[in-house]
Amino acid sequence: MAESRRGFLKQSVATVAAASVAACAPEDGRNPPTTDTPPAPLPSTTLRAVAQAILPAELGDDGQQRAVAAFERWSDGLEPVVELAHPYLVPETRYSGPDPRPGWTAQLQGLEKESRSRFGRGLPDLEIPTRRTLLTRAVEQTGSGLGAPANANHVAIALMAHFFASPLATDLCYRRTIAKQQCRGLDGATAEPGAAP
Amino acid sequence: MTRVIESDICIVGAGITAAMVAERLAERTDASITVIEAGQRTASLTERTNTRARMLAYGENPYPNDHIPDQTGTGAMYRQMVVGGSAMHWGGAIPRYSPEDFRLRSLYGVGFDWPISFEDLEPYYQEAEERIGAAGEQGPADCDPRSKPYPMPPLPLSYNLARMRDWTDSAGIPFWTQPWARNTRPYRGRNVCQRCDTCAVCPTGAKYTPDFAFDRLLAERRIDLVTRTLVRRLTLEPGTGRIASAEAVDRDAPDEPVEFRADTFVIAAGHAWSSHLLLLSANARFPDGLANRTGNVGRYMTGHWYVSGFIDLPMRLYPGIFTNNSLLSHRFASPGALDRYVRHDLRLWESNVGRAPRLRNDDGRLLWGDEVMADWRERNRTGATARIRAYYDVLPDRESRLTLDGAKTNALGDPMPRIDYRPARASLDLEDHTHDTILGRFDHLARAAGGAMMSTRTSRLWEHPGGGCRMGDDPASSVVDPWGRTHDHENLFVVGAPTIVSSGCANGTLTFCALSLMAAEEMEKGL
Repeated sequence: MAESRRGFLKQSVATVAAASVAACAPEDGRNPPTTDTPPAPLPSTTLRAVAQAILPAELGDDGQQRAVAAFERWSDGLEPVVELAHPYLVPETRYSGPDPRPGWTAQLQGLEKESRSRFGRGLPDLEIPTRRTLLTRAVEQTGSGLGAPANANHVAIALMAHFFASPLATDLCYRRTIAKQQCRGLDGATAEPGAAP
Repeated sequence: MTRVIESDICIVGAGITAAMVAERLAERTDASITVIEAGQRTASLTERTNTRARMLAYGENPYPNDHIPDQTGTGAMYRQMVVGGSAMHWGGAIPRYSPEDFRLRSLYGVGFDWPISFEDLEPYYQEAEERIGAAGEQGPADCDPRSKPYPMPPLPLSYNLARMRDWTDSAGIPFWTQPWARNTRPYRGRNVCQRCDTCAVCPTGAKYTPDFAFDRLLAERRIDLVTRTLVRRLTLEPGTGRIASAEAVDRDAPDEPVEFRADTFVIAAGHAWSSHLLLLSANARFPDGLANRTGNVGRYMTGHWYVSGFIDLPMRLYPGIFTNNSLLSHRFASPGALDRYVRHDLRLWESNVGRAPRLRNDDGRLLWGDEVMADWRERNRTGATARIRAYYDVLPDRESRLTLDGAKTNALGDPMPRIDYRPARASLDLEDHTHDTILGRFDHLARAAGGAMMSTRTSRLWEHPGGGCRMGDDPASSVVDPWGRTHDHENLFVVGAPTIVSSGCANGTLTFCALSLMAAEEMEKGL
């Protein structure tokens, strides 16, 4: 039964991906990607332009570039419709959702297109507040949480969720070296975490 | 053609209680031992670094193929069907039950007394702790009795937990470090905990999982481990009540039946699949299932419920130092005389609930970049969150049952188990009183710190479940004797969770292991 459920979900991938792309699909008639062919990498230049608008400026250019690179590696490794860690005392199997990357690619393409249409310039050439205005319109239907990146309904939210879940973000928040979920040994557990470099 | 495998001892299931029995019998006897597991092996220790990384990144199951798709029951039950069982995923919490758990009727006039006492089981608790490798801190003697020290020192209190213990001390409630199946020094060939903080999948081997025991026994050629082989029924010797064989299907060669013959059979298949196998094994002489002459197989399914909450504390903590360690109190599990029955444990953890980064502020305004960070910092600047939970025991009704569900079958056509838990009337009558008492203690703790409750919830999930083959001296009301031997079949034992009478108010695994070791000692006498 679980196998057939997985099969159903896999079949659904192309449908959902197509639907998510259709909302802002390019007009050249290309077919949306499906899981049968690995999705193309996210448009890098636009993604970095988005990152500059939504990641903390205190990261600096290098820090933001590293955060984007980490997100891209994470995105490259993402597999849709895989078995998830299961909740306690629940016998049924749960699977992750359809591939979000085709939709995210389309969103980035849509942002770039809207930027050129409205302002005559590509997104990287817009001022940060203007980029945020475009992004705010794009994500205004989202809730208040920064949940699992793969469940984000917009690539900007996925990028933020990925960064703010990182050990680095926690250390930045507390300005301490907590190094959450790093294998740190027991010796350092008892002391107040030292100041982050 | 049927493939026949013979041994002195045949253990059905390869989880933690099977590991306990196999290890003890292998050490103390020359018996040949076969362990049968319907599932297969899952991620080895060397693979867990990678599966841990993917769990963190994508939420993926870190133990691939840890279940059999068509072996899925209905109701709250574990899904693992794999070498190591549910103790592959476990966090490794190993508190003992309290002495009071074994004497509820005598002490408080509710529930049932067990046929054994805490003192009877205490040596086997110690043995289980030594086999597993327990790291713990001695609590107050009146609510944490033990005859010997823990095998290993406790996990160190993190900075966060030390601040929290200062707080709980000020509230006058004793807390101590949760005992864990995690190494604080090299132990039995396994590493020291590295505080990776993903204890569901431990990449260093510091957490005990039963596959370590099976691997060692296999290397020593002390057991045969037969995987991917599903036992479908037990058969009887003609004219006697003895078990003759376990009939099974090799999942890789389903047309070739497998028959396991042994002098002694041990069902170590957990709280759901043990009763299930006995019920599936019905025959003309036992039309309601084996070991079920008095109709008690599958009854008195038990577990505990909980009340939990989050406390807003006016102190500076750093969530993430060690979320998988916690403080424990059994003060209210050993409460002394009571006007009205209520017993529970208390656990405390660091938490970031209410203080995690968020996308919108309290006004609903979308935040970007620096605003998210500033909002996050501000919400952590002067306060912290503690997570608190109290398990309380729920007395099972006789109608709290596991049955065969004819509407849901596996590929072989065998009905799957269905569990419909039901609390005894006494527990329902006590529920409001229990909740009020626990919430009052939460509030007392919060106020002692100058803090406040952020939220609370109650749960009726039957955690750490057991029952179905409960132990007793009287065959009219039980399935097995205090040593796990079935009343109806002299060479058939059931061990671990199925045999408990009630679930206490603490995680059950160590008790399941101790009971299994006690049963193994009884098996030794027959070898």
